[in-house]
This record gives sequence, C-alpha cells and structure tokens, in this order.
Amino acid sequence: MAHIEICNVKKKFKKTIAIDDISLDIKDNEFFVLFGPAGAGKTTTLNIIAGIAFPDQGYVKIDGKIVNLLEPAKRNVSMVFENYALYPHLTVYDNIASPMRSPTFKKDEAYIKQEIERVTAILGISKLLDRLPKQLSNGQKQRVALGRCLVRKPNVFLMDEPLAHLDAKLRHFMRAELKEMQSNFNTTTIYVTHDYMEALSLGDRIGILNNGKIEQIGVGDDIFYRPANEFIAKMMGEPEINILEIELVQEAAKFGLRIFNMDKVFELPRDVEAAFRRKVPNDVDMGIRANDIEISISKKSDEYIHGTVYSIEPIGNKSVLIIAVNDIQIRTIVPNDFSAELDSDIYMKINYKNAIYFDRNTKAFIFRHENEDLSEKVI
Amino acid sequence: MKAQYSRGVLGVSRSLLLAIYSLFALFPLIWMIIISFKSDAEMFTTTFIFHPTLSNYYSVLVGTDYLKRFLDNLIVSVGAVIVSVIVGVPGAYALARYNFKGRESLAFTILSFKFAPEILVILPLFMIYQKLHLYDTYLGLIWVYQLITLPLLIWVLRGYFEDISLEIEQAAQLEGYGWFHVFQKILLPLIMPGLVSAGLLAFIFAWNSFTFSLLLSGFKIQTVTVASLRYVASDTVHYGYMAVAAAIATLPEIILALLIQKHLVRGLSFGAVKG
Amino acid sequence: MAELILDHLCKMYDSEKKKGDKAEIAVNDLNLKCKDGEFIGILGPSGCGKTTTLRMIAGLEEITSGGIFIGERKINNVEPKDRNVGLAFEDYALYPPLTVYDNIAFNMRARKINDVDIKREISRIAPLMKIEKLLQKRPAELSGGQKQRVNIARAIIRKPKLLLLDEPLSHLDGKMRQVLRTEIKRLHNEIKCTTIIVTHDQLEAMSLADRIAIMNNGKLQQFGTPLEIYESPQNEFVAGFIGEPPMNLNRVTVIKLGDSLQFAFEDSQVRIAVPAKYNDVLKNGMVVKMGIRPTDFIINNPNGKGGTEVKVAVFENLGEEKRISIRIGEEYLTIVTADEKRYHPGDMIKIEVKDDRAHIFDISTGERLSLKN
Repeated sequence: MAHIEICNVKKKFKKTIAIDDISLDIKDNEFFVLFGPAGAGKTTTLNIIAGIAFPDQGYVKIDGKIVNLLEPAKRNVSMVFENYALYPHLTVYDNIASPMRSPTFKKDEAYIKQEIERVTAILGISKLLDRLPKQLSNGQKQRVALGRCLVRKPNVFLMDEPLAHLDAKLRHFMRAELKEMQSNFNTTTIYVTHDYMEALSLGDRIGILNNGKIEQIGVGDDIFYRPANEFIAKMMGEPEINILEIELVQEAAKFGLRIFNMDKVFELPRDVEAAFRRKVPNDVDMGIRANDIEISISKKSDEYIHGTVYSIEPIGNKSVLIIAVNDIQIRTIVPNDFSAELDSDIYMKINYKNAIYFDRNTKAFIFRHENEDLSEKVI
Repeated sequence: MKAQYSRGVLGVSRSLLLAIYSLFALFPLIWMIIISFKSDAEMFTTTFIFHPTLSNYYSVLVGTDYLKRFLDNLIVSVGAVIVSVIVGVPGAYALARYNFKGRESLAFTILSFKFAPEILVILPLFMIYQKLHLYDTYLGLIWVYQLITLPLLIWVLRGYFEDISLEIEQAAQLEGYGWFHVFQKILLPLIMPGLVSAGLLAFIFAWNSFTFSLLLSGFKIQTVTVASLRYVASDTVHYGYMAVAAAIATLPEIILALLIQKHLVRGLSFGAVKG
Repeated sequence: MAELILDHLCKMYDSEKKKGDKAEIAVNDLNLKCKDGEFIGILGPSGCGKTTTLRMIAGLEEITSGGIFIGERKINNVEPKDRNVGLAFEDYALYPPLTVYDNIAFNMRARKINDVDIKREISRIAPLMKIEKLLQKRPAELSGGQKQRVNIARAIIRKPKLLLLDEPLSHLDGKMRQVLRTEIKRLHNEIKCTTIIVTHDQLEAMSLADRIAIMNNGKLQQFGTPLEIYESPQNEFVAGFIGEPPMNLNRVTVIKLGDSLQFAFEDSQVRIAVPAKYNDVLKNGMVVKMGIRPTDFIINNPNGKGGTEVKVAVFENLGEEKRISIRIGEEYLTIVTADEKRYHPGDMIKIEVKDDRAHIFDISTGERLSLKN
C-alpha cells in the first residue's frame, strides 16, 4: 500500500504525443480506475508507473520518493497485463510462485506453497495448479494472471484491462468477483479499462484519459451525472446520451429554452434558470439520456414534441426507439412490446430536470439541476 | 465400402512410392559403405557379393593422418557454431526487440551471406587472409564459417524472440528478476527448440563445407572434405580409401540428424510460443 | 423478393481422418419458412452451423440432403449466379483497384447492361446507403463502415430475390456498429427484400430481425420474434443466450415448506417461492433448472407478501442501472434494478420474482417445462 503520484508527465513516441502533461494523486489503498477510449494513453501511463517505460518529462513518486531512476524490479509494483503474459513453459503453480522466487523478493518454499493455496482458493483455480498456460481457457488464464499479481504485497497493483478478452457472461461474473475481493486487497490499485461499467462499478475514483490528457477525475456519480464535457457524457451509459442544440430565450426576465427550432418555449428548472441568469452562456447544448424522455403515440399535452419513428431496436427487456425530429436522431427507451410503423408519427416529452447543459463551443459542462439523492458521494 | 476400398488402394500406392524414393535416396550411401569394405582386387569385378575386408579402414585410419583431419573438422565446425551462438543470440534479440534505423537492411544483409556463392568471395578472402596471417589457422576458418552458420541461427532465433511477447519479459522484470535471470529462466527455455535445431543444422553445414577450407587452409589444418580429395590421385582413384573417408566423415551428421529429426521441422518453424 | 423455405436441410462433412469416426453434422434437419420481405436473423455461437446454412442458400456449399426453395422453385442444384441472391461477406471482398462506382457496377457490366442503365441504378442505390460522396474513391481510402455500406450496395443493386448478410458488423467498432445497424434496418424497410443476417451477437439479431432462428450444434433451437424468444425461451440454451445481462440459470430442488413449494439452491440457504402456475407440474424432490432474468426481481416490495431475505454480496452503481449480486455457492444471482437506493455488501434485502416470471427447464433435456402435465 502506498501513495502514488504522477507529476506533469509527458511522453512522446516518435512524433506522436502519447501522454500530454498528466498529473495524478492516488491515495493509499485507493482503487483508482483510469478510463478512456483505445489509444488514450492508459497503458503507457501504467507502464510509466511500473518503470517499463520512461517519461520524457515529469516524475513518478511512490510514498513521496521520486522513483524515475529506480528499476522496475526495485519499485515493488505488481502488474496484470491485458494479454496475461503467463510464462508458457511453466505450470500454473510455478507461474504464480515466480514472483516469490525472484532474487529481489525471495521467500522460502513453505511460505510460497501457503500463499499459493490461499490465493488460488479465492480465485477458484486450485485444481489447475499442474496445468500449462496453453491448456487453460481465457477465463482461467485471466485468473492465474490475477493470482500471480495478488500473491505479492507490493506498493501498488496495476491492472491493464484484465477483463478485456473474456466473453460477456464471464466478464460480468469476474467484475462482480473483483468487486467482492476489493475489500480484501488492502493495497493501492490502479485499474485501466475502456468499459464504462467496469469503471463505474470498481472505481473509488475514476480518472478519464483522452488523447493523453486527463479530462476529469471524480467518483462514479460525479462522472456520470456531472461529466466535465460532452465527450465524457457520451462515453457513459447505454444507449448513448443525446446531445441537442438548444436556444436560450428571455421571456419577461426569465430564461426558457427553445429546441428543434420550434416556437414553444420550455420551462427550465429553477436552479438552472437562476444559474443562466447569473452568467449568461453563449451557445448551449443539452445532454439528455434516453431514460429521461417519455414517449406517446398521441400529443398528450403542449410539452410533447412531434417526430417520426426512425427505427425500433429491441434489446431484451426494453427497446431503443430512435425518433427523427427535423433530421436529428434522438434515442429513447420504450417497453419491449412497443411496436409502430417506421416513419409514423410519434411524440416525445423531455424531462428537463435530468438534462445536463454544456457550452456548445468548448463542449464543457455548464450546469445541471441538482436532486437531493444525487449528492450522496462514495468515499 | 467404395470409400474404404479406394482409401486402401491409395495407402498401398503411397507406401510403394515412398519405398521407391527411399531406395533412390539411400542407395548412394549404401553403395559407399559397401565399397569401403571391398578390397582393390574385387572393386570392379563384384557388386553385392564379395569378401568384406577391413584393410581399407586400417590403411586410412592408421596409415594416414585422417584422424587428425577429422579432429580439425570437428574443432572448426563446433567452434564456428559456438561463436555463432554467442554472437547470434544477442544479435537476434536486438533485431527482434529494438527498433533502430536500418534494422531490416541489416537483417537482410546477414541473410544474404547465405545467398552468396562461396566461390565468388573466395579469391578476395584468400588475399585478405594471407595479409592477416589467418591463412591455415583454426581462427581463420572459424571466422569465415560464420558466413555459413550465423545467418541461419540469427534468422531462426529472431523469429523465436519475436514470438515471445514483450510483456512476458516485462512481467519478469516487475517480479524482481534482473536481466540475466530473465534471460536464463524465461528466454532461454523458450528459444531452446530453435537454438538446438538451428545449431545442429548449422553444424551440419559447417561440417560439410568444402570451398572455404580448400582455399583458406593448407597443410596444418585440413578438413575431412578436403582431405578426402587426396585419394583422387593423378593416375588412379582409390575408391576404397575414399569410401572409408566419406563414410566416417558422414557418421557424425547421420547420428545428429537422426537425433534431431523430430525437432528439426518443429524447431525451425516459428510460432512455438503460445499463451 | 420471395418466400424462402428450408426443408429438412442437412449438411454433413465426411471425416477422412480415422475410420470409425462419425461424420461431422454441420446442419442437422433445419426447417424454416420465411415470409416474403421478412428480415430473418440466424443466430448462434461459432460453430453452430449458421454460416454453413447461409452458404448453402447462396449455393457456395453443397447440400447433403433436404431442399431449399425460393418461392415455388427448388434451387438445390441451381448455380450461385443463377439463384438471384445478393451476398455481402464478412470481410467485404471489394476489388481494390476499382473505384466504388466500378465495384458496384461490376456485376451489371458482366451481365452486359448498358452504361446509362447502370448509372441510373447506382444513382438510385447510393443515397439509400449514403455513399454518394464515395463513388469515386478506392476501397483503400474507405473506413470500415463505409466499406460495409459499399458491400451491401453491391449486393442489393442486382435487385436480388434474397439478400444474405454474413456477420456484416463484426469488424466495426461500437459506435459505427450502432449507426450501421439502424441504417440496415431502415434500408430493409425501404427495399423490402427478404433478408437473412447471420451473426453471433444476440443484440444485433434482436435489434434487426423480424424473426430469429437460434442454432446450436447444427440444430434449430427456436424460431420466433425477438419478443417471443426473450419472453418464452424454448430451452435452457436459448434462455441463457438471449438477454444482456444473461439470465440467471441455477440448478434447484423443489422442496415443501409448510403449505408452499419452494426452490432450494445447492450450497445455499436461499429459497425462492415456486410461482403458483407450476404447482401442478412440480413435485417435492424434483430437480430442475430455474431461470430468472436479472430484471425480473422486485427488491423490498412494500406490497409483497412473500419474498426471501438474502444478503447483498456485491453492489454495483452503474449510472442508471444498479446491479446487486447475491452469492449462491460458487456462483452469483444477479439482480438489475433502476431503483435509486444504494446498498452495501452485507445489507439484507427481500427479493421476490416479478409476476411469477420464473422459467423452468428440465434438468436433463434442458427443454422448457410445459404447464400441462
């Protein structure tokens, strides 16, 4: 367990900037998730912390000490690689025993045996100890890689997309198992993923990485309900959040919004309206999730906006209904027995309470209406 | 039924073809061994039925310095392979892991050594060797044999190293293993099949080499390939002696090839590391 | 555009390896009737026979036994080129040296159609697939999504009776996949051509197809609308294959507790009440496979009379969806809910199955247990 810091790290590969001035402060014993799309620089960041890649600028600190010049072997970090990196010529037992047999961390065989029994029992792989990696399924290899990582008592666990190559069923199962094991880790962990569900589920805090830059750091609720920009909002949640252009209009000293070039002015929640009045934004985008849009076949009230059915896609216990309004596609959710002809008329009502407002030019978060229950933060 | 019948016929004709081919391939070897046991008198008068004699063997092994030549060949071939391994393993690793300018040109240059006919380079080499006093020395031959042994080793081992994912080395580093340990405990076991089979094949090529030792060595050192020429005298060809020289010369190779034949194909093809 | 009928279709590969090995049955007695203009999905894990079936329909694979009919016409021995079928492969197979325009025109030129007609047809098709701006580009300049649209354009331009799509979206990333899915669905609605899509992605089949044929090990498991397959899976395989997250499938024993029947799990104290509709079919001591979808639980129902107390092992806050996992022996029982309430590991909650939505399958055959005896 250790306090890990990255300070103003930059790294280039030939001409491409992989990491562009990143700083992270990861608390002792924290489970920190580094989240971002492919190519964002997550693995590079992990490698720099581990010592197998060197920053061009900036430094890495473990417990306050700068470790830039310290070899990977001496940093005492334990890593799970995306492709497991199991030693092909060693049995599962020897693979997991390997870190405990190295000159740096050598332990006696009795201790090794005991630790292996403990860890493999937790991971459910006690019966596989004599097998070679090529005789294991992906899920089993992943657990052996985890076992090899967990069997040490390092400063920090580094996990690079450990669930990436598992089928959906196994991924859900392993994610729940990892979460259950978390409390027993007692070690700072940095976990890299591009799957937003893993990030929200496992992270005490989440750091969003995009194009080598940190775009936001916060707890799951912060990231989901108060994303720092439109890009982050779009990465979280299925189906993807709808980002719509809106127009702010002033009617008798109060702000309202117009959408889809309709004449109707919709009412804003009070605190949002007040915030806009305090500081008038230039151009505003509104992010609204599929769940916050109500669908009706008839125009039940003035609040309902007319559109046409663009497509209906069943996904199991519900269906995604895409509505076209003035050539803009909006994703909404309907029950799985909902049916309608394509291009027929349909009406939607937006629940502005849950909308998130962004600056159209900078794409940055401006404001959202705050519910009391959203404020419960996870430590 | 019909399928089974045609399968049977196919099987028999396949075996027949293989038998004929084996006979064709092995016949020279068998004939050579037969000749080695024939006395001069019976050489041209008999074919398969004769009185075997060990006189040829005695004359060659005891009467001439054949055994010393055999030893020379051994020293030079084994030496060449050892040098190639010592140079080739790190070289292959560098070519596989490090991305430097001119990497592919370098790799191809090394491979091209094998393409160059020995006759082409032998004359300039002869003159260079004279100047460097490397003519007729063990060192000289071992060095020039690198042209034969090194490309093979580097090419095979590079493939092996490329198949070992970098993450395995990184994982070992993070576990606290120093560079030497990583090499010994992780890399070596994984490249061993390639190392053994390429090494043995390189030995066979070096053992057989004729042109280099013909022109770059003289009296002090001669390989068996060259030494066997001696029996082609200007007036006669002493077939018996030649057969003995050839038979004994091929002995190490045959033994080695039989030993490694299982590993030869597997070891020389890449993709040995999975998982 | 025509009705497609697969009648007792079989495909066997002869195993030449050892004598005595059974021949490998790739497609085993497949019967399907597709209506004219319908969008059919053939869904299943890799190796289930779906691609082989598609190839037999296209004429690229020999039929071992059974028949394929387009309309009234049996097409078993008809050459692929004469079957009037449009096929879009998984890996595009666009001709690299030709422009997009020439790629699409290729087949028509081969049939000696004149250039004026070709131009007219392509102008009609291009906007449908949104490739008007790409017509003069070469395949190397196109993105994966664009190549796939060209691929499909090339298949439909011949106005085929049948459009066959072989895993068309598998090489595309998440976003492009969703966009193209919607476009393919709308395209089908416009051209109303009988279409068959082969995929291993159940979400893809569910969102695109009018009806889905699920296959496993060469056999048809169920043929129905997405709703039917989701709500009434015929057997354990279909139940576990369709639905994200997958249905909880657990081995349970029926036990009598007082007046009521309960499902008891192995290695666990948890009990779930048997829905009333099964009271006639299930007896004390029976071992069955029980399937409950994660979304079919009610937590701490204030109006509930029953419900079982269970301990929360894992609570996941996934934005708009919360997931609770309960330990059952080595496995988890997964519950998905939209409730805002947060739970912690160790909390006790009461769970009930919503509207009796438990699925019961025979423990040995995996078939759905019917309600009549």
